[in-house]
Amino acid sequence: MSSIHESGFSTAAVSRFSSPGRFTPGRERRRVRSRLASLALLVVAIVALAGCGASERDGAARPDLVFKHSKLFGDPAAFDALMAEFTQETGIRVRRETLPSSSDEQHQFYAINLNAGAADFDVFAIDVVWVAEFARAGWLRDLTRLLPPETRAEFFPGPMAAVTHEGRAFAVPWFVDAGLLYYRRDLLEKHGFPPPRTWQELAETARAITAREPGLYGFVWQGKQYEGLVCNALEHLWSAGGEVLRGDEVAIDSPENAAALAFMRELVDPGGVTPDFVTTLTEEPSRTIFGRGRALFHRNWPYAWGLFQREGSAVKDKVAVTVLPHHPGHDSAATLGGWQLAVNARSRDPEAAEKLVAFLTSARVQKAVAAAYGLSPPRRALYADPELLAAQPFLAELAAVMESARPRPVTPLYIAISQVLQAEFSAIVSGARPAGDALPAAQAQMEEILAR
Amino acid sequence: MSLEARRRRVAAAFLAPAGLVLAGVTLFPALGVVWMSLEQRALIRGAPEFIGLDNYLRLVSDPRFWNAFGNTAYFTAVSVALELALGLAVALLLSRAGRARPALYAVVLVPWAVPTIVSARMWEWMYNADFGVLNYLLGGEFNWLGSPLLALHAAILMDVWKATPFVALLLLAGLQAIPRDLYQAAAVDGARPIRIFLGLTLPLLAPVIAVVLIFRTIDAFRVFDAIYVLTGGGPANSTETLSIYAYKVLFQTLEFGYGSALAVVVMLAVGLAAVLYTRMLRGVS
Repeated sequence: MSSIHESGFSTAAVSRFSSPGRFTPGRERRRVRSRLASLALLVVAIVALAGCGASERDGAARPDLVFKHSKLFGDPAAFDALMAEFTQETGIRVRRETLPSSSDEQHQFYAINLNAGAADFDVFAIDVVWVAEFARAGWLRDLTRLLPPETRAEFFPGPMAAVTHEGRAFAVPWFVDAGLLYYRRDLLEKHGFPPPRTWQELAETARAITAREPGLYGFVWQGKQYEGLVCNALEHLWSAGGEVLRGDEVAIDSPENAAALAFMRELVDPGGVTPDFVTTLTEEPSRTIFGRGRALFHRNWPYAWGLFQREGSAVKDKVAVTVLPHHPGHDSAATLGGWQLAVNARSRDPEAAEKLVAFLTSARVQKAVAAAYGLSPPRRALYADPELLAAQPFLAELAAVMESARPRPVTPLYIAISQVLQAEFSAIVSGARPAGDALPAAQAQMEEILAR
Repeated sequence: MSLEARRRRVAAAFLAPAGLVLAGVTLFPALGVVWMSLEQRALIRGAPEFIGLDNYLRLVSDPRFWNAFGNTAYFTAVSVALELALGLAVALLLSRAGRARPALYAVVLVPWAVPTIVSARMWEWMYNADFGVLNYLLGGEFNWLGSPLLALHAAILMDVWKATPFVALLLLAGLQAIPRDLYQAAAVDGARPIRIFLGLTLPLLAPVIAVVLIFRTIDAFRVFDAIYVLTGGGPANSTETLSIYAYKVLFQTLEFGYGSALAVVVMLAVGLAAVLYTRMLRGVS
């Protein structure tokens, strides 16, 4: 329609310049006037149509709340049913809006909109590493009263620590993720090795078995320079007693961290049990190597289990999981991932928004979501729930892992700090610089970021 | 009013819309970036604050900036030099291809026609150390994208593969513009091929070479997509270019002030290169 109109305009322009001899002011003015009139009509029509659309949408379901989250993988019917239940119970109507699944893009979206004072969404799901940043910016409503001490005790300690900034809770854990060790049960049994409890045992077992199984890599994980490398490296240094921050102090340049990261490099060194191209691996490429039966040990998130166990997988029924190893004398640690529900500080109806958060994070709803989508709930009790275990038997294996899960440094400047850690950890793992050079560099850069 | 003045006014009126559009989409956003580079402006640090040249002072003492600058300069110098040399060779071959030329055009142009994101993903697979075709063909175990020494060169190789056809095509047009009779005269004088190339072809091709250099240098200096897909800047920041650093600061940590300063540096460097080449161009023609 608009293209016809445009071409009408251009013929007018052409005729005016191509035939100046027959130019008669009166006729021309009339023609211009009639064209202006039709243009005005078109504008009116567009505005009216747009208005219609808006009022129709509002009329059908003017929501009391808008809930933004990334796509849930699976049949949306189960979640829609839960939302309908909420509306029935409370009379509060909710519109769900999904965001792209890329975490970076969601962060950009929220930061830019919240910074501009957007009030067109009320409840939203945020990554575990954004809580402190968003809370300090004043974008999140204080939800401490949704989490009294007896409720906090029902959650794993990791996600609780992640939603707490300066003693107040700014979000409620929705579902959790944590790093775990996948291993080839069949191969360990065949060669008579138990699952490793320390990192040294893992390396020895891998060395012994790969020597007898040609074409098998010992241990594959995520070593590319990106957020995943930070998650992997933190598990090594935490399980050696190391830290990134102690309180407000940068503690990255410590002997514990240097030893743990030097061990990571030894894994990759010539003669190590991890192939050198681990420095190009993210979750999926490493998962594929293990999934094709080409590796003995593999570090990944819980999602990989379902892919290893599905029909046609080369490692179906040959895989088991356990908590990640630790260095002697210390406890295992898993890096925490997952999503939390927060309330926009500018929400027009914060009470209703809090009700929705309380509903979605209740044990009953988390159980239903876990059963339908395989997401791991942040509440301990559900990992012993017979009905849920019948639907998702793998959850039984995860309880100990979730218990040991730790949040990445809870600081408003996490993303800037992570960029430093990504580069310096990558330098160590790829052999560009030894831990003794990279850690002081990381310490200096992080101190500068925190002081800025 | 004189005819001349009226014609000028009409000309200005006709140029005004284009000028307005250019100002709207190029000039004002660029000035906006320059202005933001003079501010402390990060989303989580509250209201923006004018801080003069502080962001630029921070740049000077930022080792990550110098690392990115070095990577970008190295990437640009090596890839543009290789593209020029290879592009010239391909252009000379094509100019003698005779009837096969149209078919060869099509083959040579394929890399240039594939979108960068797609070819970067393709190269990522070819570079795969575990099952990639390059290691299969070479029979080696090169960690192309995961070694701090190799990764930037792997990115250069991909850029050379992609941009050489563009260089070849421009140079071929230049070659065809050289009058045939000059070559005939040289042949009559008994000049050897190498002498003809150095004394005739190359000087007459110089203006086109300068244009090629301008295009390729500007393009290579702001390289982003190919490297972002191949390595994301790693390992150990060994492939982090200025554009990738600026992207991470602007869109991940959301420090718009400092990120703008980085963007301004890219803009200035590219502008400087354009001015130098234009001077060169004036010198040769």
